[in-house]
Amino acid sequence: MAGSTAELDAKYASWDGAMSPMRTSYGKLFMWFFLVSDALTFSGFLCAYGFFRHNFEGEWPDPQAVFHHFPFLHGVHLPLMYVGLMTFILIMSSVTMVLAVEAGHRNYRKGVLIWMFLTIIGGFMFVGSQAWEWYNFIKGSDNGAILYNKEIYTYDVNHETHETNKTVLWYHGTKLTTEQSAAVISKGEPFYGANLQYNEYGHSAFADFFFFITGFHGFHVFSGVIINLCIFLMALNGYMKRVGHYEMVEKVGLYWHFVDLVWVFVFTFFYLL
Amino acid sequence: MSEFHDVYPDYEGLAHHDEATGKKVRRKLWNVFWLLLAVTIIEVIVGLYAKDWGLGKTFLKLFFIGFTLLKAGYIVMVFMHLKDENKWTKWVILIPYGVFIGYLILMMTIGEGNYTSGHRLNGLGTTDGQTGTTGMQHTEADHGHEHGEGEGEHQH
Repeated sequence: MAGSTAELDAKYASWDGAMSPMRTSYGKLFMWFFLVSDALTFSGFLCAYGFFRHNFEGEWPDPQAVFHHFPFLHGVHLPLMYVGLMTFILIMSSVTMVLAVEAGHRNYRKGVLIWMFLTIIGGFMFVGSQAWEWYNFIKGSDNGAILYNKEIYTYDVNHETHETNKTVLWYHGTKLTTEQSAAVISKGEPFYGANLQYNEYGHSAFADFFFFITGFHGFHVFSGVIINLCIFLMALNGYMKRVGHYEMVEKVGLYWHFVDLVWVFVFTFFYLL
Repeated sequence: MSEFHDVYPDYEGLAHHDEATGKKVRRKLWNVFWLLLAVTIIEVIVGLYAKDWGLGKTFLKLFFIGFTLLKAGYIVMVFMHLKDENKWTKWVILIPYGVFIGYLILMMTIGEGNYTSGHRLNGLGTTDGQTGTTGMQHTEADHGHEHGEGEGEHQH
């Protein structure tokens, strides 16, 4: 019986916060739990995207025909270049973030500040690129499409030359004859770009999913930049030096890498496939 | 030492290392960055020239998804340091996610996706509930009927 109270105390102290579960710090563990739930949200969105795309394979727009703009190069067909650059920016900012975490592990304040600052710059660049991508999608192409009877009829585009044939229309994945097309063109009106109801490039669900998923991701990036900024200012103030560790950088780093991780999937499913 | 360590002398979660270890860690991180960049460049090139090279759709899907999972693995394991966490932390994160994502992909996306695409849902995701049937009549119109008249009938 000797020492039983002390043994019990030691045993139950672990339930009172003296020890972290699984020897991982509380903050990190619960950031991970949040990220698991957030990852499932994004997975749900991307699975819904795949579901719709599979159902409307014939009328789904070719992403390379939609996103082929590059700043200062109007009219030049450059698919995947701009989004490749965006991906590079985000991967780069992921590296600067993990280097800030590494500097934090050495309690090296100057390193944390420099790398955090670069991460914030990269984050703002990415949000700006996202805005530019949205702007081009909403504004639409020079040719547009025909909106007739609340339906979108898209022009026939040669996939080799990217030239638009304005006498032939497609409707829900079916090519119309020249006479049918002429009838629709004469009764309908031109429509440019995309909104939540119509999409000049094809099925409206493509635009809905694009706005919803990249918007949700862009919002994550934006909040990540704001949180990074807060942590940066705390490090600048010397808060982490006072408490003696830089674990907050590590926690916000987890969130930032998660944002990069989601983009890797968005890039594949929206632009490559 | 500091405020934090005075209050929680036995706190075990904090990761620390010295300059010598840091040097090795940094080299590893940059290597992973170059790998991610190389994979992205390969993906972009294959995406651009897939049609010219005549690569099949199934091959491309597997190729891109495989490379995406490779990138995701490196981000989670190295950048997010999941590799360095202890065994049960890893499982507590990966098992729940794995169970749900398996359900989402196999049951919902692939299972239900194949079922509905076989049955061609009318009006799913379109602006107007009638479109599914309208689309069908267009196909019929292509097989002989005068299209202009058929179009007029839908205006009411």
